[in-house]
Amino acid sequence: MSKLRAAAVSFLNARPLYAGLAGSARVELVMAEPSACAALLERGEVDVAILPVGALAGHDYELVPGIAIGADGPVETVVLCGDEPPQAWEEVFLDTASRTSVVLAQLALAGMGLTPRFTPLPAADGIPQAVGRKGALVIGDRAFDVQGRGGQPGRKKKHVLDLGRAWTEATGQPMIFAVWAARPGVLTPEDVAELTIGAQRGLGLRTELAAGFAREVGGDAEHYRRYLTQRIRYGLGPHELTGLETFLSRAAQAGLLPETQLRFADDRIRSQRTRRRVSLDTALQKGADGERLDADEAEMLDEKAPLLELGLAADARRRALHPDGVVTYIVSRNVNYTNVCTTACHFCAFYRPRGHAESYVLTRDQLAQKIDETVALGGIEILLQGGLHPDLAVDWYEDLFRWVKSRWPMINLHALSPEEIWHVARVSQLSLDQTLDRLIAAGLDSIPGGGAEVLDDEVRRRIAPLKCSTDEWIEVMRAAHQHGLRSTATLMFGVGEESRHRVAHLLRLRGLQDETSGFTAFICWTFQPEHTRLEPGDNGAHAYLRVNALSRLVLDNVPNLQASWVTMGGGVAQASLHMGCNDFGSVMIEENVVSAAGTTFQMDSEEVERHIRDAGFTAFRRNMRYQRLEAR
Amino acid sequence: MISTLAHRALERDGLGRIRDQVMNRERLSEEDALRLFEAKDLAALGALANHVREARHGDLTFYNKNVHLNATNVCVASCKFCSFARPDDKTASEGYTMSLDQAVEHVVSKRSLGVTEVHIVNGLHPDLPWEYYTETLRRLRAAWPELAIKAYTAVELHFFAQRFGKTVEQVLRELIAAGLTTIPGGGAEIFAPRVRRKLCDDKATADEWLEVHRTAHRLGVKSNATMLYGTIETLAERVDHMARLRRLQDETAGFQVFIPLAFHPEHNMIGKAFPKPTGYDGLRTYAVARLFLDNFDHLKAYWVMLGERLAQSALSFGVDDLDGTVLEERIYHMAGARTPQALSEPQLHRLIRTAGRVPAERDSLYRLLKVYDAPAPSAQAPSLPVVA
Repeated sequence: MSKLRAAAVSFLNARPLYAGLAGSARVELVMAEPSACAALLERGEVDVAILPVGALAGHDYELVPGIAIGADGPVETVVLCGDEPPQAWEEVFLDTASRTSVVLAQLALAGMGLTPRFTPLPAADGIPQAVGRKGALVIGDRAFDVQGRGGQPGRKKKHVLDLGRAWTEATGQPMIFAVWAARPGVLTPEDVAELTIGAQRGLGLRTELAAGFAREVGGDAEHYRRYLTQRIRYGLGPHELTGLETFLSRAAQAGLLPETQLRFADDRIRSQRTRRRVSLDTALQKGADGERLDADEAEMLDEKAPLLELGLAADARRRALHPDGVVTYIVSRNVNYTNVCTTACHFCAFYRPRGHAESYVLTRDQLAQKIDETVALGGIEILLQGGLHPDLAVDWYEDLFRWVKSRWPMINLHALSPEEIWHVARVSQLSLDQTLDRLIAAGLDSIPGGGAEVLDDEVRRRIAPLKCSTDEWIEVMRAAHQHGLRSTATLMFGVGEESRHRVAHLLRLRGLQDETSGFTAFICWTFQPEHTRLEPGDNGAHAYLRVNALSRLVLDNVPNLQASWVTMGGGVAQASLHMGCNDFGSVMIEENVVSAAGTTFQMDSEEVERHIRDAGFTAFRRNMRYQRLEAR
Repeated sequence: MISTLAHRALERDGLGRIRDQVMNRERLSEEDALRLFEAKDLAALGALANHVREARHGDLTFYNKNVHLNATNVCVASCKFCSFARPDDKTASEGYTMSLDQAVEHVVSKRSLGVTEVHIVNGLHPDLPWEYYTETLRRLRAAWPELAIKAYTAVELHFFAQRFGKTVEQVLRELIAAGLTTIPGGGAEIFAPRVRRKLCDDKATADEWLEVHRTAHRLGVKSNATMLYGTIETLAERVDHMARLRRLQDETAGFQVFIPLAFHPEHNMIGKAFPKPTGYDGLRTYAVARLFLDNFDHLKAYWVMLGERLAQSALSFGVDDLDGTVLEERIYHMAGARTPQALSEPQLHRLIRTAGRVPAERDSLYRLLKVYDAPAPSAQAPSLPVVA
């Protein structure tokens, strides 16, 4: 097999995208300047390239979904500089290395009402000439120098206009500078997977890349690390796509670039596995009797079994596990401490880039009010989850947890999904074990099972390329269970996955549960598509009830199943109590993530109990470990 | 056949005899219906109802393309469960009455949307002349000859007879002459006198409601039947309601469909005392109705009332009809329904297909217009993020 030829640029910010590809059996790297990348791709000398987005214009290149080089706010490495402020410039030298930055500079200056004369000139010549009433565009690593932060402090310029900042201030959107783009029809699904995995690996090497860069050109390694981890964004989710589309359309309106329609490389792998023939009735009966189902049986049930048959079998299991007809619920509050997130998942309507007008990090006062309200309503738990905020390290969480535990010692701190724990470990440069030890010492009681989505890397790469992998998610859960924490497990489906993906997910959870017995409960729900850009698969109530019942049968070692009335409404959740569930989740004091995607069911404890009773069960409050609390 | 799992679950719940009667197509008694209402196992009850549904209709799931016309909300009746009625036309009381031109235009403007039926239900307006009603129908019939006109509940028809000094038969004959196709099933509420006295004692009684439908059926006009559940009625009173309908249906065979309607609690006189019935109550009511009403061909879940998710679930509990695209519904939305004002045909198809059923467009008389039996859209993923 001939290798995929991939053109990459040596700029620091591009390194995380390809550093993980060193030694790849599938991809051969060719290093080039940004504008040369475009020429190599156009001439067919490479198959795929890290391409400045301006070079997409007029071509039918296919983007690798999910990953990009961008910023929302200051970028540091695309700047205009001079001795005088931009308002004084009569002529601006445009570095010819990247058409994108040239267009961005022109749009930015026009946006400020400035119309200097533009003269193309290589940066090496432009910077020294940017004196008096002349400015220069500087991109890439040289831009560190003109701001006095690179290896050549003597090249600092007095006035610098950061074009990332200018763009985000003008539009409220992120600026995307470059993407992996390929000649149409060239990329196979395996290629897309390789590039995505390479980026994931590379993002994990940012500290080392920063240190290496400092050794190469001089300057402060810590500054470079912050640049890579906090300035540059590598996600290409809904916000970033909006920013990219805005850039391309404004450039087209201004006559600077031709009209461009974005296209994406198909990353779906159509591998077919031969499946053993199994009888529907036998599988159903096995499931109902609590015998272990294998992957073939589970997939066949997922695809073929009628809803009520699955439901009846699951109900038989629920009766066997919880024979006294009790349905439990908890009074808990879902608090999302920040909506700032760098992962940019396609299914998420909740996250905002840092610096976005709607982004937030809750203050202590806001948190105190929420927790006080929860306690007043009889709440015993706070479910604390948030986005992956690039500035928040382990000490921030330790302070927060200690503060919560000292003020409200009775509150169970059910906090940080595996994705967040990975993130805290990375930001803090700690091992997973160290991170967990410190969080537990600070008061962490248990872990929510969110962020699992579908635990199958084929699906994850498509819907959430920058999220942790299946193995990583499992690794955090295993470690957490080994540290004595209990957790829930979740599945979000209806994102166009197939039954083999759902079954793979359930089997991964079952396998870990065999090892650790750390999962207290399983909760599934369907993808809620409003305000997101991901096309839903089958995400209706019928599918929900089927997958929920199937989960009861496959997860023979997980004791409890929660009904998701928040996404499905009370009526469908009641039906699920007759098809496998034995828990009604939490009353809802606050929820932000699902409601951001358009679903707004609400219930207080009286209403939750009415639903449980009306469906023929006895209602009991519980704690996170599913111990029943005294009747009130 | 039902599965071994369902068979055993029903046996365990003490419903083995009822199960066998259903499988043998024997009629269930009112006590049997009550037993089914009290069944502990919703999935098994659903499986039995689903058996009957599939024996009648297979996977076909019916809908039509309809527009609602509520030409006035002014009403002399004072039903305590109603959020729609207003005492007069004054702006302050949010009352309204469309002119004839407005009413006709409201309907005719939907002509390009493939609509085949108009559903007309109004308040009992104290002042409108008889000609307002006949003219509405006549003008609609003239403007749109092939449109099915499903108009005026039995309560309104009874009101017309009293107010305009006619017999119910005269009222019906004049409306038929003006273009009437079928009669909607509203106004039945709960037939039990105890409930009617408390909730709606100033409109047609149960006997009067049934007599209007009997007369219509005799004149060759098909009709629908409803039941409003979730207020003060007992389960026995629900069964009594269905039993009265079943008796009339034995006599006339003029009912096309039974439509249970859930009480919606917002903005009416009793909402504070009675929360909205839960979805569980809805699902078991559908299942019992499917099993008890052995002489009704169709069972409808009104998605406007249930929401799309519960309506889709109801397709496994005996329901074979989802009403329609329903343009411009007012009555349930004024009672707090948060469903969309209309579903597009592709949305309805998706709802039906993803429940494993086959969409079938029907007309007002339940004649099949088109079966959309193309294979369900493949389970294949949309492989890429959609970029609008």
